[in-house]
Amino acid sequence: MTLASAPEPAPTALALRGVEVRFPGLERPALSVPALDLAPGEHVALTGPSGSGKTTLLNIVTGMERPDTGAVLWDGVDIARLSEGGRDRWRAGHVGLVMQDFHLFPGLSARDNVLLPQRLARFRLPSGAAAEAARLLDRVGIARHDQHIETLSRGQMQRVAVARALAAHPRIIIADEPTASLDDASGAAVSDLLLELAHEAAATLIVATHDPRLVGRLGRTLRLDAGLVKE
Amino acid sequence: MFGFIAADLRRHWAGALAVVLIIAFATALGVVVTLQERALRLGSARAAQAFDLVVGAPGSETQLVLSAVFLQAAPLPLMDGEVLAGLIADPRVAYAAPVGFGDFYERQPIVGTTQALLDGLGGLASGRPFARLDEAVIGAGVALREGDAIKPQHGLAEEGGHVHTGAAYRVVGRMKPTGTPWDRALLVPIEAVWRVHGQHAEDHEGHDHEGHAHEGHNHDVGDGDTHDHAEPAPVRASEHADGDRDHDEADGLDTAIDPAAAADPHAPGVPAILVKPRTIADAYKLRQAYRSDHTLAVFPAEVLTRLYGTLGDARLVLGAVAAGAQALVGAAILLVVILHIGQRRRQIGALRAFGAPRLSVFAIVWLEAFALIAAGLVAGFGLGFVAARALSAILAGMSGVPLPVEFTGSDLSRFALLLAISALIAAVPALSAYRQSPAAALRS
Repeated sequence: MTLASAPEPAPTALALRGVEVRFPGLERPALSVPALDLAPGEHVALTGPSGSGKTTLLNIVTGMERPDTGAVLWDGVDIARLSEGGRDRWRAGHVGLVMQDFHLFPGLSARDNVLLPQRLARFRLPSGAAAEAARLLDRVGIARHDQHIETLSRGQMQRVAVARALAAHPRIIIADEPTASLDDASGAAVSDLLLELAHEAAATLIVATHDPRLVGRLGRTLRLDAGLVKE
Repeated sequence: MFGFIAADLRRHWAGALAVVLIIAFATALGVVVTLQERALRLGSARAAQAFDLVVGAPGSETQLVLSAVFLQAAPLPLMDGEVLAGLIADPRVAYAAPVGFGDFYERQPIVGTTQALLDGLGGLASGRPFARLDEAVIGAGVALREGDAIKPQHGLAEEGGHVHTGAAYRVVGRMKPTGTPWDRALLVPIEAVWRVHGQHAEDHEGHDHEGHAHEGHNHDVGDGDTHDHAEPAPVRASEHADGDRDHDEADGLDTAIDPAAAADPHAPGVPAILVKPRTIADAYKLRQAYRSDHTLAVFPAEVLTRLYGTLGDARLVLGAVAAGAQALVGAAILLVVILHIGQRRRQIGALRAFGAPRLSVFAIVWLEAFALIAAGLVAGFGLGFVAARALSAILAGMSGVPLPVEFTGSDLSRFALLLAISALIAAVPALSAYRQSPAAALRS
């Protein structure tokens, strides 16, 4: 019997260790994740009733909130130990966000909305950013890039938001109920785009959703219940 | 970042415009008070500069200066003729000229004086000085032409004045601009004023001009046929034959000026004398010498300084009112901005969620608020300047005193101070945006 070498540890993109979030006045923690690993490029659905801690978990893994205890390691970097400014910078460089109600900025064109996060984070656009924005807008099917955002349909708005999430070449894409405020056809289109683009970019994708069709298309499902993760 | 701010302002343009306008009006209020007070002070000081010393009969110093320098009509007591004669003969005096009032042409005062004052005020721009009693020299701002005939009116029409039907003057010259109320005066020989008002006959019978009475009715004054006659129109002297009313005012003016008449100690009295002393020392000596039981001597500048004290108090009150208004507006604006930021909580949270650094968020909110306030301030200073100019123009039209509206260094430092305060005020909402957690903003 040959001594098998220790199995090569699977590479992880995200590793949560001993993460706990408590809110004042509540006895039980709002979120308790002793250990959770995500592989690079993995597509994960996050489900669970409202109040189960989905948003809290998303805030923790994007660095918008800091857990009371534990480590949040993205590619080995513990973002829970970064300063608020450091987390802002890290998020700008690594995370693309898609939210239920878009958070597009009225008065700006589709193109300017796609480029706004990079403009605000760096003051100067990196070279190629404008071309990448144009490519992504074409890819999500927005023909007129200079069209003001408030004149678009809701489905188009969410597609612009998807383009924005991908504009800075993020390693991580986080979507919070991306289809919940869309009709079925628009939701399906947005789901397609999210999956395709995340795949093309080889990004890790985490989608919090109630949409069973979307859940079914994601490779892995994490179910949250009362702050606890169940596979 | 600027595109983002511009987009937000475009979206809320009506509110932004209202904020800018409210700030502009509040600022303009304060600016007008400051500018107008300064204009009054500068204008009256410049008007008084031409007049070193005023001598009159005992009474109110302020009234004497208002009448003699600013030509505000008021009944002043008369001094004896020997006061003027004495001043003219005084070696400390460069010139002394009588000022005799009472008559008006339209709303413009007709002032009796002598050649000495024509020279003393800077001389003539065109035409020639009066050489006869029925000739007049007009101030630079009088809307008449040389050759026009004018009929004096005793007192202002709205105060029950009446036209001296018997007398008329012909314009022969125009003064250079002096920047004083004298620019809207009509200057005539003092002897003519004496005669029109009958003082000559009453006060000084037997004077050698007496014999000329009633000779002056048929002189043809000016080329009246070619004029558009305003009301009361310049009249042709030949048209009025109904003299001998009220006063002995048909007293003939068709005679040459007697250069010695004013220096005659037996001449009729005058209400005020403008004196140009030779030196500053002479000025103080003369003021001392003519402060007596019979006469009053004042430096107009001195009287004005007292008036400015009053004016300054009024400015303080107005300034306090304006400052109060500005403070209220400032507080209201701050509230509006904070409410606006409250409405933008989600938007600001989203900016942070997308990775905008806190400094960017601070800068966006600060710049937007500061831009609005600064625009209001600039507009307010401009508006205040325009309003003060308009007000000055109206006041100058009424008083004849040009009121210069100008900014000075102190305005610049006040503007800078207001900008600095605005920068601080704008930092309040910016700071609240800066401290907002992105997650908390998105949850709300």
